[in-house]
Amino acid sequence: MLELRSVAADIAGAPVLRGVSMHLPPGGLVALIGRNGAGKTTTLRAIMGLLPLRGGAVLVGGEEVTSAPAHHRTRLGIGYAPEERRLFGPFTVQQNLLLPAEVLRLPPAETARRLDAVLTFLPELAALASRRAAGLSGGQGKMVALGRALMVGTRAVLLDEPFQGLAPALAHRYADALRGLHAAFPGVALLVTESNPQLLEPLVDTTYVIERGEIVPDEIATLKTTITKHG
Amino acid sequence: MGEWFEQNGALLGLALLDGIASAALIFMVAVGLNLVFGVLRVLNVAHGSFFAIGAYAAASLGLFLASAGLPAWASLLAILLAAVLTGLTLGPLIERFLLRRIYAEESVLQLLVTFALFMILEDAQKLLWGVQPVSFSGPVSMMGTVDVPFAGDVIPYNTYQVILLPAIALLTLVGLALFLRRTLTGRVIVAVTLDREAATAMGIDAGRIYLLTFAFGAVLAALGGALSAPTASLVPGVGASTIVLSFAVVATAGLGQIEGAALTALMIGIGRSVAVTFEPELEVVVPYLIMVAVLLVRPQGLFGVPETRRI
Repeated sequence: MLELRSVAADIAGAPVLRGVSMHLPPGGLVALIGRNGAGKTTTLRAIMGLLPLRGGAVLVGGEEVTSAPAHHRTRLGIGYAPEERRLFGPFTVQQNLLLPAEVLRLPPAETARRLDAVLTFLPELAALASRRAAGLSGGQGKMVALGRALMVGTRAVLLDEPFQGLAPALAHRYADALRGLHAAFPGVALLVTESNPQLLEPLVDTTYVIERGEIVPDEIATLKTTITKHG
Repeated sequence: MGEWFEQNGALLGLALLDGIASAALIFMVAVGLNLVFGVLRVLNVAHGSFFAIGAYAAASLGLFLASAGLPAWASLLAILLAAVLTGLTLGPLIERFLLRRIYAEESVLQLLVTFALFMILEDAQKLLWGVQPVSFSGPVSMMGTVDVPFAGDVIPYNTYQVILLPAIALLTLVGLALFLRRTLTGRVIVAVTLDREAATAMGIDAGRIYLLTFAFGAVLAALGGALSAPTASLVPGVGASTIVLSFAVVATAGLGQIEGAALTALMIGIGRSVAVTFEPELEVVVPYLIMVAVLLVRPQGLFGVPETRRI
């Protein structure tokens, strides 16, 4: 469904991604694990076309989209929930949810169907619909950001550190929600970034570990974690 | 106080009307400048050139239509047409071929580039229209005067400046606010203003919105200029004084504020005309005194919201 081939990218002249390759199968649940600054967010931004690549390719459904304009990603059915929510504060929750569908000029029936699916999965959002996004709590905001990504992410949704800033107990509930999300939207491939591998380990099909802008083979990563823990 | 008012009441009334008329024009320029800065994050000094060129174009077109024997109301059409033509030709050209290349640059460089453009356009105006004053007072004389009651006095004032200009500014204010809140394109413009990257991830073509917003801002500034053309003789330098005043309005109101810009334009417009009437030597400094006084107390502007800058 989604494939990265040796993607390299710089930010302000410094290499942040050095040849990242990964694969997100249709309907798969894949984790991208790494410390802060390892390149997780940059990987997602690269997939979304939000920064210029120095090398490599991004493929969606086997088709290369590396040089396609960033705003075409939603047409390909890719939704993105950035780490800091990035909601439009003066808009209501409903306006935030509907904006991507309106921009895509989806037929009203299709928009209603998607909104219905999102509200069935996140029923709390219905009660918040007319609230301004700026007045939401952190957790509520995360839900809206997720809902907004699901409105266009019919094939894949990228979630950047959805557990960041949540209390541990809440994070575990969120992990359950992620399982629920995967079940509720079976056709949608999920790529989730996280700095704590334990949270996602039991859920995902595949785990990629990123360090200093490179994907490290899983076994080596596991070994390193073990060594750091016991050493 | 009472005695002073007795002697100067009519003068004060006149100053207020002058202030309202000039505030209407400043608002048209400032609101476009504000919109463009919000979306493009480029402070466009050449925004004042749209005002000046719109003014000259309206005068030329209006005088041409009059000499062709068209009725007087055609001069109002000339104003509108000149504004739209100026904005829609210069705006898109400048955005696409100049500004688009410098969005990633530092703001100092952007400022220098738009300032250079301003200077070039200033000379282009002198080449095209010369340095002699151009006068186009048809619309003002056509609309006659209206008696404005003020503090027991009656002040005759020209209808064009005291009714038409404020009405158009008010229409712009209400229309723009409704456009930004109620239409999809408006909300998309707001979304790009708030967070370009998040907007792009929502499928919004930010480049298209940049072009659209810039052209729209250019039309508003050119309309301000075209509307100003009948109120005073046009001389070189009219663009510079306008851009500086609208900078003051935008800074005083706070970025992204439309209703705020209208109120601030009134404050600065009236402040300036009161100074012209009673203390002419203060005319030039009054707008900046107002701005400095406001910014000392509220650095984000009267109506602005403090913003944390994202790296």
